[in-house]
Amino acid sequence: MVEVQKEVFSIEEITSEVKALGSHIGAIVSFIGYVRDFDVSENKMLLEMRLEHYPGMTEKVLQTIEKKAFSKWDLSAVRIVHRVGILKLNDPIVAVVVASPHRNNAFDACRFIIDFLKTEAPFWKKEVTNKGAYWVEDKKSDLKQSMSWKKEG
Amino acid sequence: MKINVLFFASLRELFEKDSIEIAKPENIKTAQDLLDFYANHEKGPWLELLAKKNTIRLAINHSVVDWDSVINDGDEIAFLPPITGG
Repeated sequence: MVEVQKEVFSIEEITSEVKALGSHIGAIVSFIGYVRDFDVSENKMLLEMRLEHYPGMTEKVLQTIEKKAFSKWDLSAVRIVHRVGILKLNDPIVAVVVASPHRNNAFDACRFIIDFLKTEAPFWKKEVTNKGAYWVEDKKSDLKQSMSWKKEG
Repeated sequence: MKINVLFFASLRELFEKDSIEIAKPENIKTAQDLLDFYANHEKGPWLELLAKKNTIRLAINHSVVDWDSVINDGDEIAFLPPITGG
């Protein structure tokens, strides 16, 4: 299940809803991405982060990633929640929760989903800092990570 | 029928609007043709978009496609700057 929302999410609620789906679930792996501060060396402060997306396409891309994960691993449930709007330092941005009978599938699928979300889902971050506001550049390291999944097939 | 063109993030700021509706000019077949046409005729932000083309992904009707994809009346075309979610 895929959700794009302004509201904060509760990882405890999501995981207990997922676990309630059945006693066949032996493992739940969850990933949470947070708004973080800059390295001290960058000598600037984050005031807020503005997140926007492409409504309609975002949900479609996330559903496709979810489907791919289900086809690659034996999974019981997947929940992807991504926030948009104005976020502050330490706010949670994204949750990926994956349930499976066995832990290896849950670990691998969770990582696969967040790696692809980062390079395929149309979200954009603007950082508002004490030194000005600017759009975050895409990271080559993220692209490399999602490419490594493509190599595996 | 018109074509709806959407701009996101840095491109929305560049064009100072989030979307425009255009009539497909004659002889325009592909997204690349459309971009070239507007860069030639409108210049301004279209020229900048053309210069940045290598960093921009193109989506037609919510799917990422190549620049030589054919566009049709009624399509929704979106120019996507580098994606930075998660």
